[in-house]
Amino acid sequence: MLAIITLTIISIFILFLGFSKNRGMILPLGILALAVALWSIASGNTFWNEYLTNMISFEGNSKYFSILLIIIALAIFPFFHELIKRGNEELADFIGIILLSIVGGLLMVSYQHMMTLFLGIEILSIAMYVLAGANRRSVNSNEASLKYFILGALASAILLFGIALYYASTASLSVLNPTIKNQELYQLSILIIMSGFAFKVALAPFHFWAPDVYQGTPTLFTTVMATLVKIAGFGAIFQFIQAQHSLLPNWIVWFFALVIVTSMLIGNIFAYNQSSVKRMLAYSSVVQAGFILMGFLNFKEETSWMVLFYLSAYCLASIVTFMVTYFVEEQSGTDHIHSFAGLSKSNPILAVVMTVALISLAGVPLTAGFMSKLFVLKNANNIGLTSLVVISLILAVVSFYYYFKVINAMYSASGDQKFKIPALYQILLVCFSVALILLGIAPSLLKMVLQI
Amino acid sequence: MLLAILLIIIPLAFSLISFVGGRKLAPILGLTGAMASLLYFLYLLSNYNVRHELMYNTSMMWIPEIKGIFHVGIDGYSVIPLLLTQIVILFSVFYSFSKSESKSGAYYGLIGLAHAALNGFFIAQNPITFYLFFELALIPMYFLVLNWGNADRRRAVFKFFIYTIFGSVLLLAAIIYIHAAVGANQLLSWKEFYFNSFPMNTQLFILVAIIIAFGIKSPLFPFHTWQANLYSNADKPTVIILSALMSKMGVFGLLRFVYPVMPAINLYQPWIIGLCIVGILYGALMAWKQTDMNKLLAYSSLSHIGLIAASIFILNLQAIEGALFQIFVHGLCVTGLFALVGTLESTTGSSSIDASSGFARKNPRFATYFFIITLASIGLPLTAGFVGEFYMLFGLSEESIFYALFAGLSVILGAVYMFRFYQNSMFGNAKEVSLQSTPLKLNEEYIFIIVSILVIIFGFFPRMWIDFAGFSFLEYLEYLPK
Repeated sequence: MLAIITLTIISIFILFLGFSKNRGMILPLGILALAVALWSIASGNTFWNEYLTNMISFEGNSKYFSILLIIIALAIFPFFHELIKRGNEELADFIGIILLSIVGGLLMVSYQHMMTLFLGIEILSIAMYVLAGANRRSVNSNEASLKYFILGALASAILLFGIALYYASTASLSVLNPTIKNQELYQLSILIIMSGFAFKVALAPFHFWAPDVYQGTPTLFTTVMATLVKIAGFGAIFQFIQAQHSLLPNWIVWFFALVIVTSMLIGNIFAYNQSSVKRMLAYSSVVQAGFILMGFLNFKEETSWMVLFYLSAYCLASIVTFMVTYFVEEQSGTDHIHSFAGLSKSNPILAVVMTVALISLAGVPLTAGFMSKLFVLKNANNIGLTSLVVISLILAVVSFYYYFKVINAMYSASGDQKFKIPALYQILLVCFSVALILLGIAPSLLKMVLQI
Repeated sequence: MLLAILLIIIPLAFSLISFVGGRKLAPILGLTGAMASLLYFLYLLSNYNVRHELMYNTSMMWIPEIKGIFHVGIDGYSVIPLLLTQIVILFSVFYSFSKSESKSGAYYGLIGLAHAALNGFFIAQNPITFYLFFELALIPMYFLVLNWGNADRRRAVFKFFIYTIFGSVLLLAAIIYIHAAVGANQLLSWKEFYFNSFPMNTQLFILVAIIIAFGIKSPLFPFHTWQANLYSNADKPTVIILSALMSKMGVFGLLRFVYPVMPAINLYQPWIIGLCIVGILYGALMAWKQTDMNKLLAYSSLSHIGLIAASIFILNLQAIEGALFQIFVHGLCVTGLFALVGTLESTTGSSSIDASSGFARKNPRFATYFFIITLASIGLPLTAGFVGEFYMLFGLSEESIFYALFAGLSVILGAVYMFRFYQNSMFGNAKEVSLQSTPLKLNEEYIFIIVSILVIIFGFFPRMWIDFAGFSFLEYLEYLPK
């Protein structure tokens, strides 16, 4: 609770700070807020918790998801220094909004009551709609914002409808130990709630917003969208299934399998021929979401680390790919794959970190991406879905094609003009790619970091 | 302390230093790493007991979450490929010196990474470790071809890469499947792996997966379409690694994986061997028709590898012994041949067979080395090539005389295309460029001399090497479910 309150107060304070000239304060304050939140969650602080009994709980898996969420946010935060270029006012707005969105994310991964869930999703989503339209002068950004808003509102409505049905069938809004009065209505509510979740994490066939929104949104915020929203969304799914898994109908496995196969099929087919790297990454995130959902098959409470591991591997790689895309875009004005040509000559460090991140996304051994895929595939195989394993692996070959197309481009041609980026960013990006490799060599490291 | 894992660590350490070593230091580091690795391996070999099942092994819990164990060690199967790897990598690094432009640190670093991964692959003692290095070896090779070679290399390597990935995901599916089926046994080593007798349809699934996976890697007949293009477009030192070592990964993988699918293999043996034989003859005929030296060698490789694969699928003692020995000999021969072709290419500026006709007149030493290696490649008695081919054909004939008959045609065809190659490039109407004597570079000549000597020595004294394979085979045979 302390985490949420701190983040909210500081985010409002930062919003007001936009009126003053102290722009240097904004980022450190944001990072401080995150650090306090991280400390309060990691230490199991129970301050003010009594006001919200049975609404949220930061124990067990929620704690791990929250910690991961804040760590990833901390990893992205230094890059917002780039926003300073765009003036005082905007910096404060965006940092404030992002802190608020993290509040929403924290609610989503720790709710025990449907209202908290809805509150969290709305806080997170509205923050994202604003961020999508951050670049007011760009048509694409406006389009992204509007599209995301309309479709997101629809998804929220669907989710709310599911929650209503859930209430109708169990006479309670608490997710813990419901007594089911009407089985059919309950099953329908599960289906609808899951569809609402699937929209938030961009699983096919609820993914249609993703490519346009990812492409139109300023790349700095696409990074937030691709990482924090995914963690929060899957955390919410996890929280829901964790509370209900003894009650869930049997068809949920088949529903998941169907969604997984659809995501992989559609994501891979559409990513195959994209010339815009951001669009390609958007479709690839649909595929990755499908893989993450595999971790929910064969559900046990201990299997949370599998999802957590996949999420951290995916988020680290996403931060690197999107940030490199951001710098390339700054340089050449477009995220077309041709603008990556010769990157190995013009900025070798960016090329190497991008290569590591893409290799990890593709799932080559000794990177975190491989380990996470191995875990979820083994999980799917354990309940006898061998055909799902084979299908997803064969479709993964396609993903190698489009990831390595970018790598091919980076190492081809000769880029004449050298471009430099600040040393801090380079160091951070190198750290992330080293982390990807370390996690691939010793996956247990994640458990140490999250203290599972 | 004698540990096989050092065979991974030594090249890896040198490669990591090479990456930052710069143009001056990296070649020396690369050479030192390869040399150190060779010497260390020879030292391990001198203490190796043939009758001992597994030595120098390291085993540790790697991924506790899925009970994945990292296990490496040297058994009889791995001795010959390991020796080949150390020698070929050394040659490859050494041969890189002769190119006029100096290579950057990353080049030697990547070769070192490939070296570490290949060593790891051959000493892997359980499927998970095996898969790890199987896929890992691909990445440095991809970047090697991507950055150094002819203009057309990018398309070629991309095709190769996607093909191979397709195979390796199928292998991964098979391993995950087996891992789940074996359950608590944890796949400690190949022994546990072979203990399990899987039901027939499981075996069929694994059989298809491994044939495609290793068939693409080797390559075997229907999966070979990436090969000729890649070999003719990559840089010569890289081609040497690709043809001499990467292709052996495929057949070595087959050797490791055919036991668990034993009854299924016996059931489908005529079909599989038939396919191999088609590949053997197809490769030989295609090689006959080539006018490009690289493509000729690529197709001749296809033919030779097909024969090795066929004798692995036969699974009797002689065939396996011959196959492992031939892995070594073929690796040496293609190394020598590609090095020779590289020298010809840089002299004449063309990769056409008859671009250098009449070369022997002014360069008799070169022609002599070429002749010796050619003889070994076609399997003339008293060269190493003969021993391997004889054992393999003998093994095939134990099963059915027709297998041996058709596969044996490749020996005749091999003589035809290799002599045609030799004749057209060394003799015939002398071209202008061949009439000047071109002094051989020292490092190239060393490679030619050593390869020529090795193929003859191994032809005279094959018994000891063949024993490594034989004992291992008998050892593993006992694990099989009766």
